[in-house]
This record gives sequence, structure tokens and C-alpha cells, in this order.
Amino acid sequence: MEENILRIAEKTAEKLSVRYFEIRISRVTTTSVLVQNGQIDEISNNVETGIGVRALKNGWGFSSANDLSRAEKAIKTAMKMAGVSRGHEKVYLGDPIRDSVSLLGEKRVDEVDVSEKLEITKLANELLKGEKVKNRTTGYGDVIVETIYLNSLGSEIRTATSRVRLRLSSIAFEGGKTGEYWKSFGGTGGWELIERVELEKWAKFVSQKSRDLLKAKAPPSGKFDVVMDPELTGVFIHEAVGHAAEADAVKNGESIFAGKLGERVSVEELNVVDDPTLPGKFGSYAYDDEGMPGRRVEIIKNGVLNDYMNDRETSALLGLVPNGHGRAQSYAHQPLVRMSNTYVEPGNWDPEDIFEEVKSGLYMIGDKGGEVDVATGTFTFGAKEGYIIENGELKTHLRDVSLSGNLLEVLKNIRAIGRDVKIQYPGYCGKGQWVPVDDGGPHVLTRALVGGMR
Amino acid sequence: MEAIEKLTRILNRKNVEWEVYWEAGRGTSFRAERERLERAQEKFFSGIGLRIGLNGRVGFSYTTGFPKDEKSLTELIKRAEKLARIGSKPFKGFPEPSGKFPEIKGLYDRAIDELDFDEARYLAEKFVDEMKGMKGGRREYTLSGAMSFGTVNTGIANSNGIEEEEPRTGMSMWVYAVKKGQRSGSGYASQTYTTLQGVHEGEEIIRRAMEEADLSQKAEKIEGFSGEVLMEPQAVKALVYLFLENLYGEGVYYSRSRFSVDDLGREVLSEKISIIDDATVECSPGSYSFDGEGVPGRKKALVSKGELRSFLLDHTYGKLLQLESTGNAVRDFRSVPGVGTSNVIVQRGKEKLGDWEGIIVSKVFGEHTANPVTGEFSFTVELGYVVRNGKAKPFSGNMVSGNVFDVLRKVSRVGKEVERRGSFYSPRIATEVRLV
Repeated sequence: MEENILRIAEKTAEKLSVRYFEIRISRVTTTSVLVQNGQIDEISNNVETGIGVRALKNGWGFSSANDLSRAEKAIKTAMKMAGVSRGHEKVYLGDPIRDSVSLLGEKRVDEVDVSEKLEITKLANELLKGEKVKNRTTGYGDVIVETIYLNSLGSEIRTATSRVRLRLSSIAFEGGKTGEYWKSFGGTGGWELIERVELEKWAKFVSQKSRDLLKAKAPPSGKFDVVMDPELTGVFIHEAVGHAAEADAVKNGESIFAGKLGERVSVEELNVVDDPTLPGKFGSYAYDDEGMPGRRVEIIKNGVLNDYMNDRETSALLGLVPNGHGRAQSYAHQPLVRMSNTYVEPGNWDPEDIFEEVKSGLYMIGDKGGEVDVATGTFTFGAKEGYIIENGELKTHLRDVSLSGNLLEVLKNIRAIGRDVKIQYPGYCGKGQWVPVDDGGPHVLTRALVGGMR
Repeated sequence: MEAIEKLTRILNRKNVEWEVYWEAGRGTSFRAERERLERAQEKFFSGIGLRIGLNGRVGFSYTTGFPKDEKSLTELIKRAEKLARIGSKPFKGFPEPSGKFPEIKGLYDRAIDELDFDEARYLAEKFVDEMKGMKGGRREYTLSGAMSFGTVNTGIANSNGIEEEEPRTGMSMWVYAVKKGQRSGSGYASQTYTTLQGVHEGEEIIRRAMEEADLSQKAEKIEGFSGEVLMEPQAVKALVYLFLENLYGEGVYYSRSRFSVDDLGREVLSEKISIIDDATVECSPGSYSFDGEGVPGRKKALVSKGELRSFLLDHTYGKLLQLESTGNAVRDFRSVPGVGTSNVIVQRGKEKLGDWEGIIVSKVFGEHTANPVTGEFSFTVELGYVVRNGKAKPFSGNMVSGNVFDVLRKVSRVGKEVERRGSFYSPRIATEVRLV
């Protein structure tokens, strides 16, 4: 089938003077299970195939179909659409790549029966039970994406990637008060990633946290010294540095980091990396959706803005070494410049010493997501809980809250970076399309605006 | 359609309850960067979602395309049946036919459905020319944006005799404007429509984004403040959707909501606040004549003068809560029905509010970091104004925080002019918050 599709594409490209094209044909197998309060709320198991075609003439054209009988139509449409602009887009071409990569883990998820997946989701749900816990939600999801990538250079890359995720969530109610806590596990690999989760320990932890939060106080508001735990550091660096360092925002002159390569943007101790080659992480991949090998990018090196994450188009336009960060949600989406696994590298501080550094401040823990305006550099991110720090000691327990700041300011206000790096916080990043990512880092001390209730 | 007819014929031979939901459509969009048309795309999609009810349980599976061969259709049925055997959620059957579907004008525009590529490109080029024109020679502005057209045909049939099909069309535009200088400002504006009439508002959307970028560039953080502020529709939207998460039937049933069935009829918000969910608004992107389970779309008061009147329900959670579906099952062919909103309307008040003195919060972001269960939120203010003696000075970067249940209880004034943002309609409202 591929040979036939490629032949049609080559013929059409010649006829329409298309400079470059690429084709992704994917087969996607998904399973998802959702259990709430012991009842199965959703269980599904599906397979679909589809094709996405992208072509470059003056501008970019793209077409997709979730029905392979429309493959030819998709090819012709994409190539016709590539004539849309009168511009002269640049593209990095490079040498053709022929490769085959399998990231399916040790125990393939499609060889585990759906009933086993259901059992573990139900068990996790059962383990969350506890006094005052009124809602227990557990969700399991896996996806295997098998893709054939072909392009006009002669590349042919076959990838098979499997990702799994398990989420536990608990909500406690008492006397009009509520406490909510959750935790997610997962990565790129097989069923073994789920088997390794210490279910009993974590279910107890999540359930207990939701009860503890019933007694937690409302967080204060204002500007504070904030110690972030590794999970919060992850979402912080994803929002404060990651998005602004995506080369598409730089290319359009929108990002606050545009034109700042080589400039000092933070304290000297800060090193920020995005690395799709970390084994087994949720954001890991061998090749991106433009058939480029994913490479480690040192975004901030010793406080200096060192590199942007890029794709075929932006690397050519900005004169950068391509680093394979063109990712698409699926075959039906065009690749955009995206993050993979983004983290802060270890610093010199013992985590204990960081707390001692704080006379009066807050310790904020966990990731509730975030958002950034890359033009102004204003960003916001949420923590699941926290503590007041007085003279280096943890005092009052605090509920969840959002924090915000201007990225250039907050990066320069970093006072301590711990040694204790963790990158184990699988999630999804939205930029018009959703892609799996991971992030993390060590404990970090900075100053931020806390949007508390008192 | 052949695939659907074959599938229902096979299903009718079996002793099961069934529901078939299908979609076929096309989406075309054009993307401009730096006031230049750079990319175009056209996507085709189609598929069938099948639910099977068996011995009080339900299973779901889907297939892409419309396969006509018996083998593919039988496999689809087998997958759904297998899951129905495993599933343990109490299955409450599929909806029964319940009278007529509403006739809603302006949800389908033949002009969009029949738009060919060159015509669509012409409209997109015009939009980009408008961007160039409004930018003029001012190099400090960078404009990007998109224009999209879509058409979809949706159908549903079930073993109780429901069978209906509906074509719908849509178009949308957005513009992101960045203004560079010593510091940068940014502005974003967008709108969605059901007919091609929307193209005439291109200039207005560009103007809004550029105006916002001007103000954003001048905006600075202001001193903290606690008290009454005026919220513009976009900020009201963040509050209302946070509140509405507590009205989703699924959350009510699984105790994830602050409310239970006993709260119906209770005063939960300010008596000045009435919120309606209405699937029957003419020419509105949130409208439909039947929902994802074939229940007629309708208008219902969710909150009336502060009193909780209705939850948002699909068939299953309606039954589980011993209420009726409100026609709010939302889905695509890849997913089982879930509860969602149609058009959400905050009803207008009587106040002019044009002479407001004090703080106005216009746009916020970071909505998803709020906690719908506790109601606590702290949004980052993207743009606001301080009005003194009739003069407005922009501000941004502060956080606005509070508890959504308190904030919507303390509403003191509601404006009389309603603005639409997609499928959300709201006037401006005055209430008490904390500005950090």
C-alpha cells in the first residue's frame, strides 16, 4: 500500500511543482477505563487508521483523512493547498532516513486483556476508600501508535510507540468543606510501567491527602518567597521558559525570547533542558512527526538563553541546528514546535538548606497546570497544596492555589536550586493540539505572586 | 446511507439494545503568520460510534469511515458486545422518541457547505489583506490569525426507534496581535459563526486584537484591592463555567459537585443572576436540534434569580438521579456521550454601567488552575482598567481571586447589554473580589 501511495504522491508533486512533501500513515490502538466510586463509568477499546499529508510549494498545505480509501484525495488536496501563499517558505531537508524503532516496552499493552486493565483500575479505586472520601475516580489509558513516515527525500521511518497512564483522584467532604488530591503515573513503554506503581502506597497517600486538605487553611495572597517542589518546578519551567523557547513563536517575533539568544535571562545557576531522548518518559520519542531525530536541547545554559526548540521550517528560517521538536497530536494534525520532557538541571543546594534560607515564605507542592502569554512573559501556574514557612520550618498546611509572575523577573529572582531532580510527572500540553509531555526538576526557591484567598 | 442501513439490519437481528451515532464532515482552514497566508489545510472525517446494551450493561466502540463490508461491521459489533459483557455501570437504556425535534434556523449554510477551495482561499486572502491594511506601515505590530470553515452531517438511530439526521456548518476567525516596543503587548480576539455572514466581521476582530495589544503594552500591575469590581463578559465566562462544573449530572451523581438533588429550588447565587442553557438559539454555534443521544435540544433555566433550577443531564445521569435528560449529551463518534453545555446565556439586567468608576476586569487566564469543587480560583488578569473621572487606565499582571460561589452571590449590578463570545452570552456584572 505504501509504495502505491508514494507513487501517487511523487506523480502529483511533479505535476504541481511541489518542493517537498511528507506522509504519515498511522494505526492507533487505544484503551481507556474510567471507574468512579466503584462503578465502571467508561470502558473502550478502539483501533483506527488514517493518513496525514503535508506539502510545501510557496506555502504549506495539509490534508488528512481517517479513511484510507481517501488517501489519494488527501495527497492531491494537500498539494493543491500548498500553492496557497505567494511567500517563499524555507525548510530544512537534510539526508533521507531509513529506520525502524519500537518503543513498546517490555510487556506490550495490546497483549494484556482489557479485563486486566479494568481490574487494576477497579482495585486502585477500591484502595482509595476512606472516611469522608465521597468521590474516588481512577482512570487508565493506553495508546499504541504505529506510524509509517515517508517523505520526498526518500525517508522511510517506521515507529511503534506505546504510552500508558494511570490517574488516581480522591475528593473528601466534611461540613461544607472539600479537599481534593490526585496523582498520575505513566510513561512511554508497556504494561510494566503500571505493574511498577506501588498502588497501595499511593492510593493511601492520595486518599489521606484529600482528607488532610479538609483542615488546610486558605493560602495568603501577595508576593512571597516560594520554594517549589520538583513537580511544581516542572510546570513552572514548562510555562516560564518552555513555551517562549518554541521557535515558531520566535519566528513570528511574538516571543519575549525572540532575538535574545546569547543573552543572560536568569541567574547563572539555572540550566534548563528539553530532552525527548530520556528513556521511558511520557514525552519521549525517537523521531518527531517530521521524521527528524529528537535531540536534547539546552535551552538555558548557565543563565544564558542558549537555544530554541525547532522544527524543519524554523531551523531553516532562523539558521539553527535542527533538533526534532515538530510534533503533531495525530496523523490528522500538522506538526508544530512542541516540548517533550522539560526540566531544570540539578543545582548545588541540599533541599534542607533551601528551606533554611527562607525566613518567611511558602512551600508550594504539585502541579495543577498553567498558562503563559509568550509576548508579555506573564505566566500563571497552579499548586495542589502548600505550607507556610517560618524561619526555615514548615508550619500551617495550605490548600491549592495559583501563582503568577513575569518570566524574566521570576527567573532572575531564583535564589537556590536543589540537587534532587525528579522527572516523573506525565501530562498533556495544549497548544491547539494536545501532546504528551513530562517535566520536572529539583526544589527551587524564587519569588512569585500568590493569588490567595486572604 | 448504506453502511448505517447494513449495520442496523445486523443489529436488529440480535437480541440487544443498540444506538448508532455517525458523523461525516470536512474542515478547511487558512493560517496567516506575520500578515501572510502561510498554510492551508483541509481535513475529511467520518465514522460511526456504536453503543450496545446487554443484560443491564453497556459497551461502546467506534470505527472510522463508513465500512460497507459485513466483516468490518460485525467486528465493530463484537468489540462493543465484549465491553458490554465486562462493563458494570448501571445501564438505563437508550432514550425513547419524545415528540418533535425543534426547527432551529440558521444552523446550516449551503454557502459554506458548497464553498470550494478557491472561493475559500479568496475569503482568507481578503482577511489577510484586511490585516495588512489595518497594520499599515506600523512595523511595531505583528499579526497572525486564522479563518476556518467546517461542515458536518450528524446522525443518530437507536433500537427504540429514534432516527434523525442534521447538517450543520460553521466558520471561525481569530487574530493574535503583538505590539513591540520597550516592552511588548499582546491582544487576542476571536469569534465563531454558523453562516458565511461572519466573514463581514473580520475587520472588527482585527481591530479588537490590535486595540487590546495597544492597551496591554501600556498596562502595568496595580496595587492590591478588595471590593467591588466590574467584570466584562470574557471574565464572567471564566466564573460561570467554573460554577457550571457543579451542575453536570455526572458530578452530582458521583458526589463530585457541591450540589445534590436536594439543592434544586434553593437560592445558591445572587437573585440578580439567571443562567440559561439553550440549544435552540437561531444562528448560534452552540445550538442543535438533537443531542448526542437523540434527545431534542431545548431551553432550560439552570439558575433563575439565584435559585438552582436544573442540572445539565444526559439520559443516563438523568435516570440515575431520577430526573429527566435535559438534552445535554455531548459527543463525537469517537466518544460515549458525556454531559456538556449548548449555548450558555447569562440574562441581561437593567443597568447601563457605562459610567462605572473604579476597577474593570476585562480578560483573565489560567482558568483551569481553579478548583470547581471548593470554588476557589485565582486567575491572572490579562487586561483590566482603572477608571477615574471617566478616564480609563489599563492594568494587567495582577491576580483576581475569590470563591466562585461567594463571588456570584455578591453580584450587585447586572448590565443590560449582552455580548456573544462563541456560544456564551453575557452582560457585564459588578461583584466583589480580591485583586492581588
